[in-house]
Amino acid sequence: MIMNTEQQTTNNGQQSVKPDDGLIVLKNLTKRFGNNVVLDDISLAIEKGKTTVVIGPSGCGKSVLLKHMIVLMRPTTGEVYFKNQRIDNLDDLSLTGARAHFGYLFQAGALFDSLSVAENIMFPVRQHCQISRFSAVEELVRNKLKMVGLDGLQHFYPANLSGGQRKRVALARAIALDPEVILYDEPTTGLDPIRSDVINELILKLKGELGVTSVAVTHDMKSAYKIADRIVMLHNGKIIADGDADYIRNHPDLIVQQFIKGEISKKELEQLRKASASSAIRLPCDIED
Amino acid sequence: MIGTAIFKIGEEVGNVGQFGRFVWRSAVTSMQSIAKSDIYPLIWVQMLAIGVRSVPVIMITGAFVGMTLAIQAYDQLAGMGLEEHLGVLINISVVKELGPVLAAVMLAGRVGGALTAELGTMKVTEQIDAIESMGTDPVKYLVAPRVLACLLLTPVLIIYADLLGIIGGWFVSVIHLHINARAYWSFSANGVELYDVVCGIIKGFFFGGALAVISCYKGFNCKEGARGVGQACTDAFVMSFISILALDFVMVVIFKALYSIFWPIRSLV
Repeated sequence: MIMNTEQQTTNNGQQSVKPDDGLIVLKNLTKRFGNNVVLDDISLAIEKGKTTVVIGPSGCGKSVLLKHMIVLMRPTTGEVYFKNQRIDNLDDLSLTGARAHFGYLFQAGALFDSLSVAENIMFPVRQHCQISRFSAVEELVRNKLKMVGLDGLQHFYPANLSGGQRKRVALARAIALDPEVILYDEPTTGLDPIRSDVINELILKLKGELGVTSVAVTHDMKSAYKIADRIVMLHNGKIIADGDADYIRNHPDLIVQQFIKGEISKKELEQLRKASASSAIRLPCDIED
Repeated sequence: MIGTAIFKIGEEVGNVGQFGRFVWRSAVTSMQSIAKSDIYPLIWVQMLAIGVRSVPVIMITGAFVGMTLAIQAYDQLAGMGLEEHLGVLINISVVKELGPVLAAVMLAGRVGGALTAELGTMKVTEQIDAIESMGTDPVKYLVAPRVLACLLLTPVLIIYADLLGIIGGWFVSVIHLHINARAYWSFSANGVELYDVVCGIIKGFFFGGALAVISCYKGFNCKEGARGVGQACTDAFVMSFISILALDFVMVVIFKALYSIFWPIRSLV
């Protein structure tokens, strides 16, 4: 949920949540890979109809957090709720129903190489709907492609598409079943500024037209400010800031400020300069011209 | 040191448990899928890739096995004046052992490698996660069609290998080594029984199932990057190869025991 200024998290403030606090609720979630703690006792409630953006440095566990929301990963400890029902303890078959309410835009699109654009978009429809008329599915594919501005590419294969087109086709596939929730994993990474803005506009359009609840993981601050109703910052497996765009812009924490401004800390800068200087030492061999 | 060793043993035990669960899940899902017609188009596609496209390489393997056996065994049998019995030796070796095992090993390399590479690439590019995120069971969609295609077609491919092995053996024995054709086929017919042929074909079901499940498991549990996919392919082939040999040994023991019960006396010459 979006909190007012008094409630907003300022520093390592892990709020306690109840299963009915939001459409998706993560309660005391911890994820370890061996000895590496990626998520450390995270509690987060995602409010219906809003766009929540999770930011944080690379490798801080943003994508892992996103995958827990749809139980593509299971928590080491903690609970995941969707519509007030616990889903992290369900088996894969029981999860099928819950997952049909989600659309997931993967970082690199994750389009199926062996299927055409149209077949990729048809995939979730074929899996979940009894198709009586094939022309109806074709119409649906055309509509979804129109929404992302790619009508006419039905017969292309993913290998023939540019990075931006692939992301938009993946977005069309993610919305094929008109999901209640769309999860975006780095939706603008690897795209030029114009294409990034196209994706941002599409995210806003989907929210406006379909009223979907969105969770986006990104480190593109321009995108975050544009699409977010709420921004959550992860650092070292914990939530260190949680609030709207203005709150995050004016956050007192130095780590938050460095991240949103894209600045390296003075200490890190000094270490980098020292390392650069030491690398100027001659190699113990002669390099032939 | 001791702590690391215990950790590694624990990890290996965990891997064996994970593999066991995968085998069970694949078997159950594959059996359930037989009754569902929506999976048939996926099985046809896999049958084309796994079965039809493997026919040439399997036939070549079978033919060379038969021809090589003929060359190798001729001198020893001729030394004892038993060269006309060459057909028994070749054909029984081909249909009982070499045909099924070498065809399965060839399939482990050609089909197993391709399955692991394809699924491994799907894993590292998050395509398997994408299937799961859309509420589809990846084992049902990806593993079951491949397992069923391998189960159904490995025995058929073994029949092709047997056939070409027999033809290859005949070609070298009768055409090149000038053994009397009538005697060659007569002794073969007496020495090779339907039981031998059926045993070889039954082995095919187990070999096919093993190589498909192992290859899919390695693909599903592939580590990140090109190196991860390469390593998964190597592991899949080595594990399939060893499994084929181990299964062959177990089945030979079982088939021999069964034969002894039903037909206690048998002579090859």
